[in-house]
Amino acid sequence: METSDIYILCIEDEQEVLDAVVRDLEKLEEQFPIETAISAEEARDVINKLMNEGKKIGLILCDHILPGENGVDLLIELHQNEKLHASKKVLLTGQAGLEDTVKALNKARLHHYIAKPWTKEDLNQVVIDLLTDYVIDQEEDILPFMRTLDANKLSESIRRRSVSDE
Amino acid sequence: MKSGFLGLTPIQLTGLILGIAGLFLPLLLPIATLSTAGQIGLGIFIMAAIFWMFEPIPIYATSMLVIFLQVLMLSAQGPVYMDSELPVSNPVELREQNWQIPTEALRDDGTVLVSVEPGETQTVSVQVLDRNGQHAIVQSEELTTGHNIVTNPDHRLVNYQPNSYTDYIGTLANPIIILFLGGFMLAEASVKYNLDKNLTRYLLGPFGTRPRFIVLGLMLVTAVLSAFMSNTATAAMMVTVILPIIAQLEPEDRFKFGLALAIPIAANIGGITTPIGTPPNAIVIAALTEYGIDISFTDWIIIAAPLVLVMLVFSWWLLLTLFPPGSNRFDLKLEGKLNLSAKAIGLYVIFGVTVLLWITENQHGIPSSMVAFLPVAALVTGRILNKNDIRKLPWDVLWLMAGGISLGIGMSQTGLAEWMISGLDWGAMGYITLVLAFSIVAIAMSNFLSNTVTATLLMPMVISLQVSGVMGESFNLLITGIVVAVACSLAMVLPISTPPNAIAMSTGIIRTKDMAKMGIIVGVTGVLVILAYAVFYWPIVTS
Repeated sequence: METSDIYILCIEDEQEVLDAVVRDLEKLEEQFPIETAISAEEARDVINKLMNEGKKIGLILCDHILPGENGVDLLIELHQNEKLHASKKVLLTGQAGLEDTVKALNKARLHHYIAKPWTKEDLNQVVIDLLTDYVIDQEEDILPFMRTLDANKLSESIRRRSVSDE
Repeated sequence: MKSGFLGLTPIQLTGLILGIAGLFLPLLLPIATLSTAGQIGLGIFIMAAIFWMFEPIPIYATSMLVIFLQVLMLSAQGPVYMDSELPVSNPVELREQNWQIPTEALRDDGTVLVSVEPGETQTVSVQVLDRNGQHAIVQSEELTTGHNIVTNPDHRLVNYQPNSYTDYIGTLANPIIILFLGGFMLAEASVKYNLDKNLTRYLLGPFGTRPRFIVLGLMLVTAVLSAFMSNTATAAMMVTVILPIIAQLEPEDRFKFGLALAIPIAANIGGITTPIGTPPNAIVIAALTEYGIDISFTDWIIIAAPLVLVMLVFSWWLLLTLFPPGSNRFDLKLEGKLNLSAKAIGLYVIFGVTVLLWITENQHGIPSSMVAFLPVAALVTGRILNKNDIRKLPWDVLWLMAGGISLGIGMSQTGLAEWMISGLDWGAMGYITLVLAFSIVAIAMSNFLSNTVTATLLMPMVISLQVSGVMGESFNLLITGIVVAVACSLAMVLPISTPPNAIAMSTGIIRTKDMAKMGIIVGVTGVLVILAYAVFYWPIVTS
């Protein structure tokens, strides 16, 4: 499996939780390298670093409670960044209230809300779903993703792309 | 991953350098037996072939570049041939059979060239009696006062009559391209209104639930659809049909390999069935038309469909033998509802009428390319396809074919194609050897190259075998062309051989070695089946 230049970014302040997320997404990591950050500040650094290297961020998985800042505000801030506009944004939390969640939905185009505790299957399902949409939207050649992501949806998108024989 | 200089891989970079060198090589090292135009044409041919093989630029870009270079360097209006005229003068008769001619006109082998008509010269041998600077006195029985002696035998117009540039750019509106445009628009509309999926659902119904018949059904439906749509789009659609079936299988059931391989194999083979099935057919038809052989849509089906059927049934048998089903029934869960909106019904009518008119071309005589304008005009008039849909059409493939056709025109016009075949002793080759040679070469090449490109590179040779007459009676232009078209579509050993193979492989269900094994057996069998048809069937239906 060839590693792509599409990254998954996980932002979570509790190391154990972060490890659990990374462990659960292990299978996807072969193709989508995972970067982690334990604070909003570190997240910004990681993003800058990846952007400077010309990498893409396909999905941002963010906890709500972060030291000093909250995840919803961070996602809203990141959404302003044009290069992260297409990135799929997921809030992974047990504590965000209705108001915050609505705010994230409206202002950061939040794509999914995962409540803690999550199951491995659910998390993978959500991430695969969102990354499939991301590559269909952003990538020219989507064949390399058929094996890891939703093959059905990807084939359907190839069919709709008016491809032809060469 | 792209990397390195200009974002090219080392192989692409090598191709870029070789291609550019190839373009200039014949001009730097002129070949005596080839006209100037032939040298230019050879440069363009080498560059195109290398670019198509190494792909430093996309293959459609190479096609566009070919047309551009031909317009620039070979057309009557380009800077090379613009305002140029072949310098000639008439001989002056001094005495009976003694002539005064310009010294420059004399060639090393003691002949002069006489211009017969634009692009054609005749060699006249003369005996030099005396030369004094500008003039020479020669003796010749053949010369007459009316002869136009070419005063510069190395002139670029010797044996070359440049085409108008419109011949090269006009290939984009070549009838066969318009035929494909019609096909593309029908396919685009079918996908938009899910006609392909609904047809699949209805057509698969009668094949029941027994695995072996489901595979047969899948292969037949795939082949029928890819005869009218692109093989690639058909394969992508059929993958969505087989994935749910494969999900029902036990993980270790090898039958899934067979299922996943059935799709690309049937899609590749199915494309052979009609002229619009796949682009190599277009290249062959365009080349034959250029030489005055018109094949109707009906003729093509009569020629190709029996071979398609044999290859499909053989592949079906082979897949079931190699990958026998582990269980006795499957449920084909194909959901969907026929779209009954006014536009969708409009599409069904246009689709039906067009296909009917195409396959009955022999009965009514209206050329298929003219019929192709029915869907082109009707689909947009009825707003079944809108502006965005038109923009989404695979224009790159139309350009790829146009460039291929244009390269062929240039190669025969410049005498390059004829020169290229002159190196081999074709006369010693019989009909069977020739059929075998072309089918093996075509299959071998198109396993690595685009099928269209393979047809593009081989067809000029086929045409010049006819023009030069080196093979005499045993050569049949039409059948040799068909051999090339069919063979190009039977190459399916590797994931890169065809886009349907790439799609099937990317699902991760099949292993490369399974694809290679099937591809090799299908290819070898294909050569034998082609030979059988070329000996026993095609001579009957084409005479």
